[in-house]
Amino acid sequence: MADPASVTDHANASHGTAAPQPGSDRPLLPRVIGTRRGGLLVAGALALTGLIFAWQASLLDLGQIGLPGPGFFPLLLAVLLVVFSAVIAIEGRLRSSKDEPLEFGHAQVLITFAALLAVPLLFEFVGAYITLGLMSAVLLVFIARVSVLPAIVCSAIGMAACWYLFGELLGVRLPIGPF
Amino acid sequence: MTGFEQLVRGFSVALSWKGLLYCFIGCLWGTVVGVLPGLGPLAGMTLLLPLTFGLDPTIGIIMLTGIFYGAMYGGSTTSILVRIPGEAASVVTCIDGYEMARQGRAGPALMISAVGSFIGGTVSVLGLMFIAPPLAKVMIAIGPSVEVVLMLLALFVISIVSAGSRIKTATMVVLGLLLGTIGLDNLTGAPRFTFGSPELSGGLSFAALAIGLFGLSEILLNLEKTETIKAIQPKLRDLIPRWNDVRDSAPAIGRGSVIGFIFGIIPGVSHVVSTFVSYAVEKRLSKHPEQFGKGAIAGVAGPETANNAVTGTAMIPLLALGIPSIPATALLLSALTIHGVQPGPLLLTDRPDVFWGLVASMYIGNIILLLLNLPLVGIFVNLLRIPYQWLVVAILVISIIGVYSVNSSVIDIWIMVVSGGVGYLLRKLGYEMAPLLLALVLGDRLESSFRLALTMSGGSYATFLDTASVVVLGSALGLLLLIQGLAWVFGYRKSVTDEAERA
Repeated sequence: MADPASVTDHANASHGTAAPQPGSDRPLLPRVIGTRRGGLLVAGALALTGLIFAWQASLLDLGQIGLPGPGFFPLLLAVLLVVFSAVIAIEGRLRSSKDEPLEFGHAQVLITFAALLAVPLLFEFVGAYITLGLMSAVLLVFIARVSVLPAIVCSAIGMAACWYLFGELLGVRLPIGPF
Repeated sequence: MTGFEQLVRGFSVALSWKGLLYCFIGCLWGTVVGVLPGLGPLAGMTLLLPLTFGLDPTIGIIMLTGIFYGAMYGGSTTSILVRIPGEAASVVTCIDGYEMARQGRAGPALMISAVGSFIGGTVSVLGLMFIAPPLAKVMIAIGPSVEVVLMLLALFVISIVSAGSRIKTATMVVLGLLLGTIGLDNLTGAPRFTFGSPELSGGLSFAALAIGLFGLSEILLNLEKTETIKAIQPKLRDLIPRWNDVRDSAPAIGRGSVIGFIFGIIPGVSHVVSTFVSYAVEKRLSKHPEQFGKGAIAGVAGPETANNAVTGTAMIPLLALGIPSIPATALLLSALTIHGVQPGPLLLTDRPDVFWGLVASMYIGNIILLLLNLPLVGIFVNLLRIPYQWLVVAILVISIIGVYSVNSSVIDIWIMVVSGGVGYLLRKLGYEMAPLLLALVLGDRLESSFRLALTMSGGSYATFLDTASVVVLGSALGLLLLIQGLAWVFGYRKSVTDEAERA
């Protein structure tokens, strides 16, 4: 029978950032915004997306009401997206309930996302394995808090394993860059 | 050839060494992604999708489907031992499963959960086997106008049954349909929203979007969390349940099989809803409802059976109608299309090997999972010892290689990264990603059928109100109302969701 005393602790994500406190010494990140304001911003972005799609769809052949062309369906959907976004914005504006705070910009999230953004920029230019190895090393150092040398060694071993699994066993062809 | 003969032929595919090997790999990987918080069946299937490209379509689909139902098995392990649901359908299991584990009864909870999952999964495969073929025959006889009605109904239901804001879900449906229009127009070949990029002519990569919106956004959200995981380690000899456990859980497993099977028809979140309904039913019918929330084994057996019984039912609309009802089957649709197999009414006549091979493999997969999950539960729990940040690195590397390998295009990596960021923001603000993905998959076919139906009718919108459409719409709506009514009768929303939140 499982002994409750045998409970073991596994730190899963123990390097998370604490919520910032209000005041003059408030750290730059993470930023806290209200769900109402965040909701309005997202609704605005969705409405803008709808407007761009509507504009582009209007440049296509709309056809007739009985025989729609390639622009008809996207135009209809884009208009619906704008309308729904407006409803969400109005609903958020009128909402009387408590405006709950939302945190954005945790260091780990930003570092991971920045590393990911760099991947497609370098992927074909320096090669897949070097790019992914660099990304792994950066994430191991800054997210997993591993020292630089072990992080590089682990990344190199990981990339060798990837090359063997994907390149040799599965025949996946990845860009090799200038080398 | 009779159905039985075709099933025998299906078993010959599923029992070949390749069929068994890839079914095992799928089940094993499915259990792993089910155990690991932050990785669900969809992310697990997407990650291994590129590995299927060099395989025979039947074998590839056998592996991907194994991941789908394997994740349902694995999800219960973390719910019971850690009180963290491995995936959404295991949330309810946390309530009584973890309480049992705290009382030193993790073993029986895991055992009953695995047996219930096996029975639920097997019952649903039987249903798939008997319902899909006649349904496909009916669908062959009807035209594109009925297809449009069915797809609109599916999207409407997804918006209605969503757990979050309905207007936000409807917005995600519209956004998904809109993103689905990117690429060449199916009927005229005109490029739409491609901005001259040949990579976008084929549309946005479903795999890239699925990994971004589900997998990557989940990883980013998990990186924010700071809580510590406390896992209870059961011993193998403690797995055998007492007679009282068997007596209390047997009816719950029976009812869970029926509930999961029926609720599997609902598009969108059927696997989650079925567990809530099953829990509410068990609590309502129990002689000791006060024990629920304090370690009642029926509260584990029912929901775990129900979420596995959904898997077979969810395959019915995919294989018989070509319409996915949940994100995981949307990915299967995408995978089948990549392999040149078109799911739908003609699948059973054109590619019976795929259908019957899959059905046979699901029987075998359920047995593999039963054998795999119980003795190896300690190993799966030890996966939680791996620091999450290390897992993130490994998952990201595999995801990027997987996404790139689908079309050998860096654009797909951009799509994955950007959609991951967008998905992270949207999910923080209460938007759901499943409706977007389902709409994205259905959008192309919805538009084609819509325009085809109008062309065939000479531009008359009355074609969407013909007898066949009305009959299909009426039957489907009646069925959904009945299911919704049953859920309402047992009041699953107000009672069980509160308990799940407290847990």
